[in-house]
Amino acid sequence: MKRYVIATGTVTHAIKGRDLLKKKGIAAETERMKYGTENYGCGYGIVTGGNIEKIENLLKSNNVKILKILPID
Amino acid sequence: MIYLDNAATSGYKPEAVIRSVSNALRALSANPGRSGHNLSVSAAEAVYKVRERLSDFFGATGPERVIFTGNCTQAVNFVLKGVLNANDGLIISNLEHNAVARPAFSLREKGVKVSVFDGFAKDPTQELNNLITKDTKLIFCTHVSNVCGKIIDIAKIGALCKKHGILFGVDAAQSGGVLPINMKEMGIDFLCLAPHKGLFAPMGTGVLIAEKQISKTVIEGGTGTASLSLAQPEDLPERLESGTINLPGICGIGAGVDFLLQKGRENILRHEAALCQKLYDDLKGNSGITVFGNGNFINEYAPLLSVSISGVKSDEVAALLDRKGIAVRGGYHCAPLAHKAMGTVNGGTVRIAPGINNCVWDIEQVKRALFSISNKKY
Repeated sequence: MKRYVIATGTVTHAIKGRDLLKKKGIAAETERMKYGTENYGCGYGIVTGGNIEKIENLLKSNNVKILKILPID
Repeated sequence: MIYLDNAATSGYKPEAVIRSVSNALRALSANPGRSGHNLSVSAAEAVYKVRERLSDFFGATGPERVIFTGNCTQAVNFVLKGVLNANDGLIISNLEHNAVARPAFSLREKGVKVSVFDGFAKDPTQELNNLITKDTKLIFCTHVSNVCGKIIDIAKIGALCKKHGILFGVDAAQSGGVLPINMKEMGIDFLCLAPHKGLFAPMGTGVLIAEKQISKTVIEGGTGTASLSLAQPEDLPERLESGTINLPGICGIGAGVDFLLQKGRENILRHEAALCQKLYDDLKGNSGITVFGNGNFINEYAPLLSVSISGVKSDEVAALLDRKGIAVRGGYHCAPLAHKAMGTVNGGTVRIAPGINNCVWDIEQVKRALFSISNKKY
């Protein structure tokens, strides 16, 4: 399964997004961004996997701010 | 001591609140939302849970709308100074605490048009309909007068604001955790809270729940996010939470909400209202003592009571009560507009605000003490 880190910026949005995904049975964890944040500096993200379009829509429809979605190699 | 100054801060802090604050200091002393280590993440998770509880409790749309401030006054300032520009119209009530009145009148000097409605009106929307102009951007008012306990019908004002496309903010310092508040149902865009009162949290805590964007910030600084940018982040809550937040206090807020849910907000309200009712009934009609309000607690007045004694200044009454071991607040309660409306600018009032831990015996003691002072037997 392809895995992604969804940069949310704030830890609040990361936790909210993680909890939403978990409620839908999608494995998700928060993490402090380790890479891919060169343009904006420190921030948090959600590490998850699966149908990324579905995940993105779910998060956006619940007002979780998404800055960037990065695939994890 | 008989503590009857719960409108200033709740005199009783539940053991669960104290334990929660203590536990935060012992086991969660890390900076939430900053570092990525386990302890920092645990601290951030604890803060998030409190945002969730507050969002649910006050009917907000989500935890990200909950902003922690140093007190309710800061929350009010963030709203008024964040959304209003020169030539915008602001309407406040004549029952405002200086937390609202002072920033409002400071904004007037910067070109904001401030008008005032009568908070004692049974239906304030009648006057508001006349005060609203094309420039009116925000109606901001207290839910409950901190001087006399008068309740303003915020649901009606919220509906009026929605009809006219006007922003609506509420100072719920006296009512948060005391009276029912649902932001969605009442059409409230900005709710400012003093959790150390009705939510039994530690002093030095404040909350702003913002359903609408606040365009200008009063304080800018580190948020733990977008660190390479010199611009303040746009996203709530961090946009309004620059600097390290009060983690122990925030944990105390969470424990306070849990305590309130466990005891039942309505049960506490009924208990405090019954004590006020007794004092009101016992004092009313006694010559030399003026009791403010109409005794219709819960529906028209929150459970606090203002009184004055003929010939004795309220500060002096409060000092005499203090000598008898009774803690109340005399004076003007930082609410000059309310005292002007009540006709008590000369001498102020003595505010008696019972809390969850007070009993009928306490009310008997304060009643006797007030009679003694009134009869100059002190």
